[in-house]
Amino acid sequence: MNWLNYRDRIGALLMLVFSLGYLSQIDNIRLLPFLQGGAFTPRTLPYVLAGLGIILSLLLLFKKPPADDDGITHWKQLHLGQAFLLCLAMVIYGLTVRPLGFVFTTTLFLIAGFIIMGERNWKILLGASLPIAFSFWYLMDQVLNISIQAMPAFLGGGG
Amino acid sequence: MLEGILTGLGTAFQLQNILMVMLGCLAGTFIGMLPGLGPISAIALMIPITYGFDPASGMILMAGVYYGAIFGGSTSSILLNAPGIAGTVASSFDGYPLAKKGFAGKALAIAAYSSFSGGTIAAIILLFAAPSLAIVSLSFQSSDYFALMLLGLCAVAAFAGKGNVIKALLMTVMGLMLATVGLDKSQGVERFTFGSADLYDGIPFLLLAMATFAMGEALMAVLRPKSEADKQKDLANQKNLGSMKLSKAEVREIAPVIGRSSILGFIMGVLPGAGATISSFLAYGAEQRFAGEKGKEFGKGSIRGLAAPETANNAACTGSFVPLLTLGIPGSGTTAIMLGALISYGIQPGPQLYTDNPEIFWSVIISMYFGNVVLLILNLPLIPYIARILAVPSNVLIPMILFFSLVGVYLVSFNTFDIHLMVVFAIAAVVLRLLDFPMAPMLLGFILGGMMEHNLRRSLTIHNDSWSFLWERPLTLSILVVAGLVLAYPLLSSGWQKLRAKRSTLGAGEGG
Repeated sequence: MNWLNYRDRIGALLMLVFSLGYLSQIDNIRLLPFLQGGAFTPRTLPYVLAGLGIILSLLLLFKKPPADDDGITHWKQLHLGQAFLLCLAMVIYGLTVRPLGFVFTTTLFLIAGFIIMGERNWKILLGASLPIAFSFWYLMDQVLNISIQAMPAFLGGGG
Repeated sequence: MLEGILTGLGTAFQLQNILMVMLGCLAGTFIGMLPGLGPISAIALMIPITYGFDPASGMILMAGVYYGAIFGGSTSSILLNAPGIAGTVASSFDGYPLAKKGFAGKALAIAAYSSFSGGTIAAIILLFAAPSLAIVSLSFQSSDYFALMLLGLCAVAAFAGKGNVIKALLMTVMGLMLATVGLDKSQGVERFTFGSADLYDGIPFLLLAMATFAMGEALMAVLRPKSEADKQKDLANQKNLGSMKLSKAEVREIAPVIGRSSILGFIMGVLPGAGATISSFLAYGAEQRFAGEKGKEFGKGSIRGLAAPETANNAACTGSFVPLLTLGIPGSGTTAIMLGALISYGIQPGPQLYTDNPEIFWSVIISMYFGNVVLLILNLPLIPYIARILAVPSNVLIPMILFFSLVGVYLVSFNTFDIHLMVVFAIAAVVLRLLDFPMAPMLLGFILGGMMEHNLRRSLTIHNDSWSFLWERPLTLSILVVAGLVLAYPLLSSGWQKLRAKRSTLGAGEGG
């Protein structure tokens, strides 16, 4: 097996990259002039953490992986497409919830989610999305007084 | 103390708070029963709902959710062999074989009685232990708190399990790194904000908890769905629960197990980093040794093997409230999220909570006991009906979990940036989960990071920028030494095992 093809080593490498990226940003933390010589500045803890992150990542990278670590051989069996589409739906939800309003966007998000998960029955698609979106909006906006714009902005927003 | 208990009783037994416990236990059982969703996700999903409540009611609801989720997790462990959380994994060792033999009802009843007994015994110990510790901790200084938090983080590594120490430490460091994002509280300078105003206040705790737990677990269920054959098998278990009655002989058999496991569970729960998972495994192992010949039945449907972890995990849940309520230091991922909730109510847990907000301190302790009663008298008879939620298809369930997670965070800030940040964290969490990295240490590091830095800075300011307090104050030094030993323990124990293995090989070689 390839030296790197172990879950531990791939994880270690990702953590190492993250720690190095974190380290590279520390000098961007501005220090107030009169506190520059202090025993503890806003940069102190980040430096310690970056150092720890790098050391621990290297330790994990060069440690012998456990016997049950079979790398990413099983990753082909994962339902990556569905997970990706759900993430995409969430991103779109974030982009549209304000301009299109809560009830409309939530209904669409739930319908899209059900379809991505393989649901094709229209009764379930509509029956489990619109009532939830509306009742959630009603509970928040009308009962708990947390104002949420229910309708699209061009329809006056509502709520 | 008596006055405090009466205040707590008064608050806990207000009609709305009684309803909160009942609602919390029911909601927690529902959520905890869903495979993949544990108490952290259950509590995280509840936080936005409790924003409008007074702190005591909010905490009472969450304590109920906590117990309910643990109980619900046991139910899915027993019926589906799919523990919602690590704390109920040991319950599936004997619970699932019992269900397969047609004793699902009996297994669920044992789980409920054991949880009730474990929780009750631990709540009684907590009643006396927490105030004493709260009084002692009033003399603690910021340097002691810094050392205690460091101990908590080191303990995460010690209890991470063989081969996972470095990963747990890495995740803790990652949590600490994420906690440094935002405006530095003492000097007001930006750290890792990349000029974005959305990051000035740092990463919200709820966002991180929801993304890495509720969303992360839902996405994992999408990535690794159950096979059709497994689904059919589970459905059969849900339909044929069988009798829920226990015979006198069975009660006599599990009673001593419950007594021992309660005390063990409570002690393990108090220790930072240990919590429900470690205590349930320890209790299972200990009882297997105690059982002698009957120990061979463990893993094949032994009622002792089910009672031990079920008792211990509930006792540990109660025990984990000791460091949270008295020191303000969470010992587990779940208590970390409760700490986050308390802070969002404007309440700082710790010794001051005992003196300043006795109604919260005591009402939470009393509702814990009440929560156990509710679980027994309300949830147990409802189990056959509650179990039907397991039949809700994942097609519908997963998008709903994602929606409640998204909206729970969005409704706090009304900032769509948070939704996108959640997706980023959820994807990162899924990748790390696939690589077998534990998530709870990251959450613990994140919540303790800010407090640890704050206490360290205060100590330095008090001591004129001198680090001498680390070795001059005996209490601080003692805690730091313990932290060092706890951190070194996994390394020393694995070194010792290797040495023993080498010696025995050499001995065998010489003998042969």
